[in-house]
Amino acid sequence: MKEPVAFPSARPEGEPGGTPTPTTCSTDAAVGARPDVGPDAGTGLRAGAGGRGSTAASTSAPTAPRPRRPVFTGRQGLTVAAFMAPAALFVAVFIYYPMIAGSQMAFRNWNLNDLTDTSWVGLKNFREIFTDPVFGTVLSNTGIWVVGSIVPQFVIGFAIALWLRRRFRFRGLYQALIFFPWAISGFLIGILFRWMFNSEFGVVNDLLEKAGLINEPIPWLADPKTAMVAVLIANIWYGVTFFAIMILAALQSIPDEIYEAAEIDGAGKVRTLFQITIPSIRGTLSLTVLLRVIWIFNFPDLIFAMTGGGPSNETHIVTTWMITVTQQGDYGRASAIGLIVVAMLLVFSVFHLTATREKSATGGRPTTGGKRATGRNPRTRKTKGTVS
Amino acid sequence: MLSRRRTATALCLAAALVLSGCAVGGGAAADGTVTLHMVESLTNPTRTAVLKDLIGEFEKQNPKIKVDLISPPTDQADQKIQQMLQSGSGIDTLEVRDITSGPWSTNHWLYDMSKDLKGWAGWDELTDNTVKYAKDAKGRTYYIPYGFYGLSLFYRSDLVTGAGFKNPPASWDDLLEQATAIQNPGKRQYGYAFRGGTNANSNAVAVIEAYVADKIDRDNGFKLTDGRTIFSAPEALTALKTYFALFKKASPPSSVAWGYPEMVEGFSNGSTAFLLQDPEVIATLGESKAISQQQWTTAPLLTGPSGKAVQPVATAGWGIAAGSKHKAEATKLVKFLAEGDAATTFDKKNSLVPILKSAADDTYYKTGAWASYVKMTENPDAYITVTQPRDSSWWTEWIQKSDADIQKVLLGKMTPEQLLTGWDSYWTAKWKSQ
Repeated sequence: MKEPVAFPSARPEGEPGGTPTPTTCSTDAAVGARPDVGPDAGTGLRAGAGGRGSTAASTSAPTAPRPRRPVFTGRQGLTVAAFMAPAALFVAVFIYYPMIAGSQMAFRNWNLNDLTDTSWVGLKNFREIFTDPVFGTVLSNTGIWVVGSIVPQFVIGFAIALWLRRRFRFRGLYQALIFFPWAISGFLIGILFRWMFNSEFGVVNDLLEKAGLINEPIPWLADPKTAMVAVLIANIWYGVTFFAIMILAALQSIPDEIYEAAEIDGAGKVRTLFQITIPSIRGTLSLTVLLRVIWIFNFPDLIFAMTGGGPSNETHIVTTWMITVTQQGDYGRASAIGLIVVAMLLVFSVFHLTATREKSATGGRPTTGGKRATGRNPRTRKTKGTVS
Repeated sequence: MLSRRRTATALCLAAALVLSGCAVGGGAAADGTVTLHMVESLTNPTRTAVLKDLIGEFEKQNPKIKVDLISPPTDQADQKIQQMLQSGSGIDTLEVRDITSGPWSTNHWLYDMSKDLKGWAGWDELTDNTVKYAKDAKGRTYYIPYGFYGLSLFYRSDLVTGAGFKNPPASWDDLLEQATAIQNPGKRQYGYAFRGGTNANSNAVAVIEAYVADKIDRDNGFKLTDGRTIFSAPEALTALKTYFALFKKASPPSSVAWGYPEMVEGFSNGSTAFLLQDPEVIATLGESKAISQQQWTTAPLLTGPSGKAVQPVATAGWGIAAGSKHKAEATKLVKFLAEGDAATTFDKKNSLVPILKSAADDTYYKTGAWASYVKMTENPDAYITVTQPRDSSWWTEWIQKSDADIQKVLLGKMTPEQLLTGWDSYWTAKWKSQ
């Protein structure tokens, strides 16, 4: 009779209060993880309590912290404002002011080569951008760049994080080695990869040839198609690290007891991954993806160092294109591109946040399944819960 | 109590730091010492070291002047300088390039030194070319060149002899023939280090100019004497066909993406037999481990069918910011760098075409890789120096456009005819809008 001994210790950890940070995400994670804990605990007296407990948590969670809304007195408000003032001032002076001052250039004729005439030109800069034949290529490249980077980064980063979560000799060393690329400047990595992908003197072609995979050197950066692949490979190599760091940190916040419970319950590796690991860290995953999309979108360093947007503008993304326009001295048009980037990312962020919020709402549903099954044989119940 | 005191101390310290930071760029110190802020643009570590030595010498001669050298990374240097100039203070002496002098003087950021330089003995020491570039079309002096960049052909003497040729190529046709003979992709031996990446336009324009050398406008290398663009001439098409044949038959396929570093590496590691580059490469090649000094040398710039070549001169020099409060001291520094030993040292150590007349008698420039430069200088009718329209405000835009067009031709997405028509109408329209 190991089970009753194992579970009481597992339970408190599984309670909402046991999760490390009381954000919406972790509450969701706790709710998501519950079906595996609750039902398993169902042997004996605690079964009903477990099921009910989870229901109570999921229904009372939104209301529980709210009723005691702190009442602000004028004095408290002033104190808070005083504490915030330096930070707010700093942000206002060094971020918002330049941002607004910069944005107005988008509506003016602002060319560094001749600043004698900086009159207002309305939407002229935007019209020029939208009618530029390069704009279409740039947009689709940006899409390829973001999706083609983030999906492999996510998958590989996740795998590395899962692997590093296990305890083995020299784990710390491996962790340090894997996180290392994140500390190198993007531009430097671009230059390194530019040489590695060099068709004649590069190590990539050399290795491929020695392995007998190719006979003729691949002109990596000279052909538009392979050039995009090359910059994507470089970016994946660079960004995997960040996902690994973030996911590993999140994984370490999942209590081991949940895994023990699942193991005892006979859950396989795949099921543990999809039923425990992923739901538990969904909040982190969603936030990391959002952050990375924004960063990758705004990450021209690699492309700029490797191809400079070439050959014949075929690897330009919005931000590298913006740099070339800046180099021409046309700050008006560059600023307009900047505003377009901000608008695109804003739309994406709103969409992403809304979408992932809905998902986490449905993520809470298994609890209902668990509740429905309360009182039945825990083993069969668990299978059903998974199916639903 | 202690912690409060500590906080107060920290605050005071922070305030002091911030305030002292703000004080940089102020007037002369109490003892009358003036600090000049000097910014360079085409920064590289060796050059910065040379410059620091020269500045040390200058400070020794002028104990009341201190020079603070700022060396931003080359890639962002001109933008940094722009920002500093725009803010109007904190910068006295600066590196002005032929491509930046136009826009910066239009924005009234540069100081016209012509009055301060009236009667300066140094004028007589400078070569005619230097004097020409030191004055703009209206006779104003925004910078004095420190040296010139000019093209010559670096070639592998062993490979040329090995392929059965007695002399290095003199014309573009010769180059095509010899490079094709040497090309052997199976052995990773290529003929010509083709420039298809950043600044691809420069070499393409050099070919076209060589082919129209007889009717080129010497004050504007993109214009013919009849006022039309050089790209409209029928010879331009012949030139480009030879040039693109060089890519197809005699260059590494990936040179579509080759910029300066790949070209120099390709020649210096022995993969390519020919390289068209500036003299600064002489110093780089001296350090090559793959090829020895006996295996390579230089030949004059390649000529067109008429036996003439056009040297697309590029230059940079030292100028003074309009916002500087120490113009007299800054002028002293600019003069110092353009005279005597300082000028000679700077040009020799950076492998630049010298600005002083005295260099013609210097044995250093008569031997080895430098000999071809002397040959070009001694035959000004065959190797014509022509001013390029590098001070046009749309120059960067042009570089980006023309580079992309060349890559399109290399990738088969555009014909040379379309490219020339496009370039012709681009420049015609730009000149009209002026």
